[in-house]
Amino acid sequence: MFSPSVSNAARWLRRLALPVALAACVSSAFAQAPAKEDIVIGASVPMSGVFAFAGIGIHAGLGDYVKWANEQGGIDGRKLRYVPEDTAYKVDVSVAAFKKITSQNNVNLYYGDSTGFSKTINAEIDRGGNILMSGASFASELNDPKKYPNQFMLGPDYTEMFGILLRHIAKETPKAKVAFVYSDTEFGRDPIATSREAAKKLGLDVAVEIMTAPGSVDVSTEIIKLRRANPDYTIFHGYVLAPIPEFVSQGKKMGLKSRYMGTFWTMDNSTVMQMGEDAQGFMGVMPYRYYYDTEGKSPMLDQIRKMRPEYQSTGYMQGFLGGMLFAEAAKRTLAAGKPLTGPNLKSALTSLKDFDTGGLIGVPITIKGNSIPVGRIYQADVKQKRMVPASDWIVLE
Amino acid sequence: MRIGTAKQSYAADQALFDSATQRTWVLVLVLALIAFPFVADPYWLYLACLVAINIASATGLNILTGYTGLVSLGQAAFMGIGAYTVAVLEQRLGTPAILNLLIGGTVAMLGGVLVGIPSLRVKGLYLAIATIAASFIVHFLFANLGVTGGTAGLSVPPAKIFGVALDTSFRIYWLVVPVTALMLLGAANLFRTRIGRAFIAIRDRDISAEVLGIPLLRYKLLSFALSSFYAGVAGGLWAYFFRVVTPESFPLQMSIFFLAAIIVGGMGTILGAILGATFMTMVPEFLKLVVGWTSLGADSLQYVAPIRIIVFGVLIVGFLVFEPHGLAEMWRRVRRFFHLWPFKH
Amino acid sequence: MDIWFLIEITLAGLAGGGLYALAALAFVIVYKATRVVNLAIGEMLMIGAYTFFGLSTGLSWPVWLAIPGAVVASALIGGLIERIAIRPMLGEPPISVFMVTVGLSSILVGVVELAWGADTHRLIEFMPRDPIVLGEAFIAPKVFYGFLTALALTLAVLLLFRFWRGGVALRATASDQGAAYAMGIAVPRVFSLSWVAGAAIAAVAGIVVGSIGGLSPTMGIFGLSVLVVVIVGGLDSIAGALVGGLLIGVVESLAGGYLGGEYKLLTTFVVLVVVLMVRPYGLFGTRDIERL
Repeated sequence: MFSPSVSNAARWLRRLALPVALAACVSSAFAQAPAKEDIVIGASVPMSGVFAFAGIGIHAGLGDYVKWANEQGGIDGRKLRYVPEDTAYKVDVSVAAFKKITSQNNVNLYYGDSTGFSKTINAEIDRGGNILMSGASFASELNDPKKYPNQFMLGPDYTEMFGILLRHIAKETPKAKVAFVYSDTEFGRDPIATSREAAKKLGLDVAVEIMTAPGSVDVSTEIIKLRRANPDYTIFHGYVLAPIPEFVSQGKKMGLKSRYMGTFWTMDNSTVMQMGEDAQGFMGVMPYRYYYDTEGKSPMLDQIRKMRPEYQSTGYMQGFLGGMLFAEAAKRTLAAGKPLTGPNLKSALTSLKDFDTGGLIGVPITIKGNSIPVGRIYQADVKQKRMVPASDWIVLE
Repeated sequence: MRIGTAKQSYAADQALFDSATQRTWVLVLVLALIAFPFVADPYWLYLACLVAINIASATGLNILTGYTGLVSLGQAAFMGIGAYTVAVLEQRLGTPAILNLLIGGTVAMLGGVLVGIPSLRVKGLYLAIATIAASFIVHFLFANLGVTGGTAGLSVPPAKIFGVALDTSFRIYWLVVPVTALMLLGAANLFRTRIGRAFIAIRDRDISAEVLGIPLLRYKLLSFALSSFYAGVAGGLWAYFFRVVTPESFPLQMSIFFLAAIIVGGMGTILGAILGATFMTMVPEFLKLVVGWTSLGADSLQYVAPIRIIVFGVLIVGFLVFEPHGLAEMWRRVRRFFHLWPFKH
Repeated sequence: MDIWFLIEITLAGLAGGGLYALAALAFVIVYKATRVVNLAIGEMLMIGAYTFFGLSTGLSWPVWLAIPGAVVASALIGGLIERIAIRPMLGEPPISVFMVTVGLSSILVGVVELAWGADTHRLIEFMPRDPIVLGEAFIAPKVFYGFLTALALTLAVLLLFRFWRGGVALRATASDQGAAYAMGIAVPRVFSLSWVAGAAIAAVAGIVVGSIGGLSPTMGIFGLSVLVVVIVGGLDSIAGALVGGLLIGVVESLAGGYLGGEYKLLTTFVVLVVVLMVRPYGLFGTRDIERL
């Protein structure tokens, strides 16, 4: 009497979908009842997978800011609500998370976990028109308000990071020989072509560009190339840690005089210190201040230190700043009496002039394009196990 | 107990849907699929489309691996070829979506034939490893050719059908699901033909098949061609669905996913690819739901990915060890139980 | 470029190839006895490296104790894997067993992520850190000592296979399971033995690889290059593992040196395809003749 159908799977899907759809209808009906609706920050966070080292910090930072802001009374009497989902740093999972969060909540602000996700979801964000998005990506490609009108990034893009490093080099050692070492990934290749030009303009000589295969273990060949080029500075990009320690330690043993530099994702205190003694003098660009940085007045950093007595990663700072800028954009939009749409939020955000981040960033910030082109060179001090400033704050024009 | 299914002609015996009850259920299913987008929210629509795309690709792999016995770890790469072809066509020429999908499938098919050429000389595991090599070479091309946009990849304008841009899950559903249904119907019919039966003969023992007069090279290549055509069309759908194509969109992991899907679902059955692809696509979402129910809070989220990876592996190993015929066989057993009810055998 | 560049690159390739040879050895031992193509080889390296990490950094064991500890632990895990997942597949088609190892690799990655998280870690430094200097050529110390380890272990395995009873049993099982049974060899025990030995060698390889490139749950990717090596060398040949390893090492190094890092994997896979087309059973492998 019972007989097969081509797919019971789809039926199963549908059976699950009905109650969910109903629940969504009911909940949205309820959500509209109170006069002051929550302002929802959705987030695709990589709590697990290869990017978890940053994602866990980002999650804590965003969550902490929202908690703090609500304790201060929220925004215009409205509470902030933070709705995260784990993505394991996979684009399709991240898109699923986005769909889930946006279909169950009225989302105005969204944090994305990767360049791939930011690019994939962009069309959807533009079409929907209700969301301002930021995220973990610093891809140069995203720093284009025409193509990505409703997104922004929480620091300089990778090209700008290189720009800050190169400016520091040009100031310290004019006409220096520079090497770029980067991975064969989108992340690694991102700033190379543009930075070649930038270096030339600053009078620097790019002695060698070395691309390493992703996940390659033995980088002896690449180190041989680096030794022959004998640069004054070597900039690593597109890695978190490996194979940087191998380059640095072998370079030192071979008598290279080069100084070594990294970009944002390498620069967390714990990451650099994993290099052991070789970390000494390792430099890099950092848009935020470190957790333990007490110089000057920094009320928000003090607040963070009060909430979390132990060291917090640079990912945490990024998440916290993300929450702060989201809130600021929402506040300014509501103050102007405008509805919370993507374009309104974005124009509120770009109206920020010399905005004080309460010490998260050492100088007042202004958003240019889609980025915040600010950073400072820090270098590792192995004795203190800390990153210490090696330059002033550098603001790119 | 079901009785009265005596067949009076060969045609009736070979029919795809062989009884009235079966036809009724298929009709119900079709109606359900039509009604689905009107009741589901975007999240479920998204999952439905993803499931459909995975079913299409898994069915292609099943033709090659399940029916012809040639193991391939290159399915994701062929999807990539299809996706890139569609992306380039849509971006540069703006040709109609259906035509793009067909061309995408065809280009992937050519790639498949090229990879299939060693299949006469190289068999079994060696072939599997040759397909890994092929997928790395394809990945290299994606990342370094000018037309593919390098590591940054390409963004794809939405598919247009009769002037309507398919830019939401609701709209793209009407492209993805019918195309997948057509592909399934094609695959189901394939194994009622001479070609399909030749594939099965090759799988069971290729030397015997050759003795029986089946030209091995031609049929093996044909199997590769069909399988990668399916992958190419599925990849094209993928491109229209995600609208961004990068070299990292189609990793080796994805090929393993499809292989796992047909193992778990059941190799060499159409139903197997459907069940397997659906099940494997839904597992991560389901796990997230389960972990969400446990009141460990947000911090438990960080255990989801490792657990998912473990579950993925355990499913592969478990099904191979305990139920090599997969979910399709389990489903059949359930059905048989009801057919025979109230008798046991 | 000058001649010293070529020499240096070639030496680096040879030394790096030693690492491949070491991992390939672990693969070949398993294949030779059990005919299982172990796609989880990279993950078995990873397990060895992480166990060492856990013992040396986590429990602060001294290095001379942590290395044998990690090797023994991995060997036990290898035996366990054989017992739970491989033994029940006895008599199944090789493809199915291959797929089981695909599943296994996924399980191992998940276990490592669960136990140690997905972050990258560094192993403690335990090898001499001064580079080896030959004329104007430098060789990275860790890679060089890894190469020596590979040579020593390969030699030891060759000798064991030649003279030790267990080794002979292993070879006998490899050449004809039925006959080995008939001669009173406990074939299941040989199976276990080969997995235990394979896992132990994999652990050594993992510790060397991990000390160079650091630890992460994705380090199993190394296994892909190993797969190329064993195919090129011949799945069941120990000498093939060594020669194939060195060959692939040099090819990769030359490609990286003269063409650029993005060509490394490409060239090895092209070599693989060529070898497959010309000699499908590898350079030193045994040719299977199929009969109806």
